[in-house]
Amino acid sequence: MNQKVRLVVPEAPSPQAVAVTETRAVASGGIRLGVLDNSKGNADHLLKFIVDGVKAQLPVASVVSLRKDSVSLPAPDAILDQLAAESDYVITAMAD
Amino acid sequence: MSNLAQMLEASGASVEAEDDFDAINALMREKGWSDGLPVVPPTEARVAAMLEYCDRPWDQPIAKIPPRWGEATPLRLAANAVMAGCQPRYFPLYMLAIEAMCEEPLNLYGVQATTHLCAPLVIVNGPVARELDINCGHNAFGPGHQANASIGRAIRLALVNIGGAIPALGDMSTFGSPAKYSYLVAENEAESPWEPLHVERGLPREASAVTVIGAECPHNVNDHESLSPEGVLTTIAGTMGIAGVNDIYYQSHPLVIMGPEHAKMAAAGFSKSEAKKFIQQRAHVAVGKLSRENIDRRVRITFKERLPNPKPEDVIYAVQRPEDLLIAVIGGAGKHSAYVPTFGATKPVTRALKTADGKLAKSVEDFRRR
Repeated sequence: MNQKVRLVVPEAPSPQAVAVTETRAVASGGIRLGVLDNSKGNADHLLKFIVDGVKAQLPVASVVSLRKDSVSLPAPDAILDQLAAESDYVITAMAD
Repeated sequence: MSNLAQMLEASGASVEAEDDFDAINALMREKGWSDGLPVVPPTEARVAAMLEYCDRPWDQPIAKIPPRWGEATPLRLAANAVMAGCQPRYFPLYMLAIEAMCEEPLNLYGVQATTHLCAPLVIVNGPVARELDINCGHNAFGPGHQANASIGRAIRLALVNIGGAIPALGDMSTFGSPAKYSYLVAENEAESPWEPLHVERGLPREASAVTVIGAECPHNVNDHESLSPEGVLTTIAGTMGIAGVNDIYYQSHPLVIMGPEHAKMAAAGFSKSEAKKFIQQRAHVAVGKLSRENIDRRVRITFKERLPNPKPEDVIYAVQRPEDLLIAVIGGAGKHSAYVPTFGATKPVTRALKTADGKLAKSVEDFRRR
C-alpha cells in the first residue's frame, strides 16, 4: 500500500451563479422585451421565433431589437445602455 | 509572506491521493485536469519550489481567465506549471504571459470559446528569453527545448483548468489545433536586422517582455529564389492573400514571422515600417475569390463604405493598416518565412516583466524569495 500524498488542486471553481433577487417592476401593459442579435447568420430568424413565442404566452408592451457588429466581440456600451433603459428582460441567442 | 500549508487547508485547495505516479495521473485524467499527456504530480513540495520564484501573494488572483472567469492565483498557476514540467525559474515569465493574455484587448473570452482554431501565441523578448534558453532559432515552434515546451504547456493547462476551456464545453473550436498544446517562442534578436518586437511596441530594449497574439498556426512561405528586398516581401504578401481567414473581415493584427535570411534580405532595402507598408499594399484577396453568398452577406456589410458594389477584381486587404501588421524575426538558417493569421477579433498585448514593486526585472532571480 502506497503512502498518501497531498496534491495542489490546479482547477479554479466556477464563480457562484448570482441568483436574481430583484423583483422586476413590469408595467401594467406588459413586459418591455429587449433582443440582442449577435450578428451570427440566422440569429435574427431564431430571435424572431422566440419573440413570437413569448408574445403568445405573455403580454408584451414593446420590443427593442439591437444588433452587435461582430459576433466575436462584446456588445458596445451604447447597446447595453439602451437595452438596460428600454427593457425589462433581454433575450440573446447564437445561431448559424 | 505566504503560508502554503495554511492555504492548502482551505476547502478545495488540495486533494489527497495515493503516492503513485500512475494512480495520480489516473486521478488527473478523471478530474479533467490534463491535456491528455501524463503530468508531473503537483505535490506540495514541488508547488512550494515553484512558488519560491513568486513575489506576489500566493492566494490572490493575478487575473481571471475566461470563459469560466476562474481566479488565477499563483498557487493554482504553480500547480499547473509543475504538472507541465516547468522549472521553478520559469514561473515569473509564465505568470506574466497569463496576465498579458487576460488583458481586454486580446479578447481571451473569444479566443478561448470560438469555433475558430486560434490559440494564444506568446513571443518572448529581452534578456530573460536568453536566461531561460527559450528557443528562437531552428525548430523554434517545434520540440526540443524545455522552456518552450513546458511554459507553453502550462499556459494551456491553466486555460483549461482555471479558465474552463474544456473541449466541446468552454472551448468550442471545430478542429482545435496543435498550438493548443504549447505555443511559445522567443524572437531571434541576435539575427534580426531590425528593432526587436518589444522595442517597436514601446518598451525599453533592456526590458524582458511577452507579446501575446490570438493566432493560428504558422503557414510557411517558401522563397529560395528571390534575391531582392522587394522579391521576398512580394512572396510573403502573396501568401497572405487568401480567402477564408478571419483577418480579412476585421481591423486585424496578423503576424509575419521572417526567417533571419529573409529578414536580412528585406532589410537591405526596407526599414521594418517600410516593409510593413510594402506587404500591406500587396497582401490582398480579390473579391472574385469569395463566394457570392459571402459577398452579399459579409463583404457588402463589412466594407459598405469602400465597396458598396463589390466587383470581382476589387480587393480586400489581409491587414487593413500597415501599422497593424506585426513582424518578428524567428528561426534558424533557411529561406523561409511564415504567415500567422489571427482570430481577427483580437489585438496583440505586449507586457514587460516587472517585480512586485513595479521595476523592470533584469533576471528571473529578481523574483526569488530571499
